[in-house]
Amino acid sequence: MSIMEYNGGSVIAMVGKDCVAIASDLRLGSQALGISSNFQRIFPVTDRVYVGLPGLATDVTTLRERFRYRVNMYTIKEEREIEPETFAHLVSSTLYQHRFGPYFIEPVMAGLSKTPSGGFKPFIAATDLIGCLNFAKDFVVAGTASAKLFGVAEGLWEPDLEAEDLFETISQTLLNAVDRDAYSGWGAIVHVITKDKIITRTLKGRMD
Amino acid sequence: METSFALTGKGYVIVAADTTAIRSIVKMQIDQDKIKELSPHLLMAYSGEPGDTVQFAEYVERNIRLYQIRNLYPLRPAAAASWIRRSIAETLRTRNAYSVNLLLGGYDTSSHTPNLYWIDYMGTVVEVPFAAHGYGSYFALSLLDRYHDPEASLEEGLATLKRCIDEVSKRLVVDPGKYKVKVVDKDGIREVEI
Amino acid sequence: MSQQSAFSSPGFDFSNSVRNNFLQEKGMPLPKATSTGTTIVGCLFKDGIILGADTRATEGEIIADKNCEKIHYITESIRCCGAGTAADTEFTTATISSNMELHSLSTGRKPRVVTVMTMLKQYLFQYQGHIGAALVLGGVDSTGPHLFTIHPHGSTDKLPYVTMGSGSLAAMAVFESSWKPNMERSDALALVSAAVSAGIFNDLGSGSNVDACIITATQTEMLRNFVKPNERVEKERHYTFRRGTTAWKSENIRDLIVNEDITLVGATGDAMDTS
Repeated sequence: MSIMEYNGGSVIAMVGKDCVAIASDLRLGSQALGISSNFQRIFPVTDRVYVGLPGLATDVTTLRERFRYRVNMYTIKEEREIEPETFAHLVSSTLYQHRFGPYFIEPVMAGLSKTPSGGFKPFIAATDLIGCLNFAKDFVVAGTASAKLFGVAEGLWEPDLEAEDLFETISQTLLNAVDRDAYSGWGAIVHVITKDKIITRTLKGRMD
Repeated sequence: METSFALTGKGYVIVAADTTAIRSIVKMQIDQDKIKELSPHLLMAYSGEPGDTVQFAEYVERNIRLYQIRNLYPLRPAAAASWIRRSIAETLRTRNAYSVNLLLGGYDTSSHTPNLYWIDYMGTVVEVPFAAHGYGSYFALSLLDRYHDPEASLEEGLATLKRCIDEVSKRLVVDPGKYKVKVVDKDGIREVEI
Repeated sequence: MSQQSAFSSPGFDFSNSVRNNFLQEKGMPLPKATSTGTTIVGCLFKDGIILGADTRATEGEIIADKNCEKIHYITESIRCCGAGTAADTEFTTATISSNMELHSLSTGRKPRVVTVMTMLKQYLFQYQGHIGAALVLGGVDSTGPHLFTIHPHGSTDKLPYVTMGSGSLAAMAVFESSWKPNMERSDALALVSAAVSAGIFNDLGSGSNVDACIITATQTEMLRNFVKPNERVEKERHYTFRRGTTAWKSENIRDLIVNEDITLVGATGDAMDTS
């Protein structure tokens, strides 16, 4: 039993056409014992950037507070909102700083980055627990159900999905993957980020 | 074999903890109070490593009190939970970590809602409608899943708690014995007999 | 307590170590980081150096990234391939690249490959192998072309053709069979590509595409995805779900467009006097 599996939980992010989605289950456990079915591990960073923090629950809270603090300091110093690429490097360097005593979290980031022409470009990224960045063009996964999520997402994802279609694809990917993972599940939450709105939906999932 | 439960209801939180102090295989005391009254509307049940528990509970109690003296108003339950979590998470990174599991029940006098937080020795916090620590949790959580009602009256809430206590006494290898039960609502804290 | 200053001190933070040892003693093994079970190669040819790498990143038996970049930038005419713990190769090369930029600025000279090699080996030796970076360093400077391998403990080799990573044996077999001194550019590139391909197809830790980088005295050419022998075929059917397939319990839509109603107060309709 690894520390990464102690509390359970998984996160996935996907790219669509001018939109991104990030989703997670809602279980918090203490090994096999379920404690909560409403544990949020996806947090907004700015209006158009979200971060998911699957892994050890105490570090979910600690890192959320740490990222909030560092993003606030960035916003004050730079007098502008942080871009998703910059935030990804902030996450990466924070984790690598703890290379020899890591936080047990594998962050997943999703957002829309500003283009020079004033438009928005989808962005997703994930890192391992010591901050090795993975900029994928399709989808990224992490958590106790990551192996299953990889498989389902590889089969279901396709390019240029509209926001509503992306919602269906990411939701079905997550729900079906966590149903094959004992440590993830107990409900799910999905955020779809488009250029002018953020759609957040809580899903009906299996409760076993 | 330490066990503690807590559940929310309509405008209240019930917190219960067994009263036996165990050392090795010996019962040392049968009327120990393991629920601290941190402020007029905040209760904390603690369990875990003997020594650490009382030490940490008193540390929290005095600091919450100090905040109230300095600011003339007490911390709200959410803020208290956040502060306590941080204390645990930071001491966990030192050589003298506290091994303490907590249930923090409070009535928020500003939003008029009952709040309950499940906190473990690693600094995991989650707000829940009902919670348990110790071996009792394996029996109680399934019962609470079935019988808990967030809109239940205090009488109904206490009846649900009674079910949990009875089940644990019946099925757990060692009966945890007597329980102390405290309730917090808009009128403050009081102890109840069950 | 750990977040008092906006500026954190440089270097590693060991504050979690005590806690992690404590958790480990409770019987929970520490998890694995992403590693590049890799094939990286480099060889000397007539005009300079060619570096090659595959693009697979693994986490145990799972492929974490199918198209990652393993040839890292050090300076314009010096590049470095990384194998081992992915985060370590990424951050060590970035640190040394940054230091080389400062170094060339302060000396006013173009950086030399031996300088980079020395900085890397001293850095890795300092950490006694705990930073798991196995590197192939290549470049051309005022003293000519140079090719090095650097091991996680800080030892180095200077050779005309080198391979590293889990696919190093397969790749080395290719080099041993057909590397010759003073090869032509096209022959050398084909050889590097064949060596990396041998890793891609024979070593499970390596896969996907071939990246190559040709460094000569006059220019550096980065050939990202030079060969793509493992392209995914297009799906024959679409697997989109009919909208409304997923049952949801609650919805919250946050509108990011701020609508303002402007109500004119006071002198209505009067244009501002701009004369």
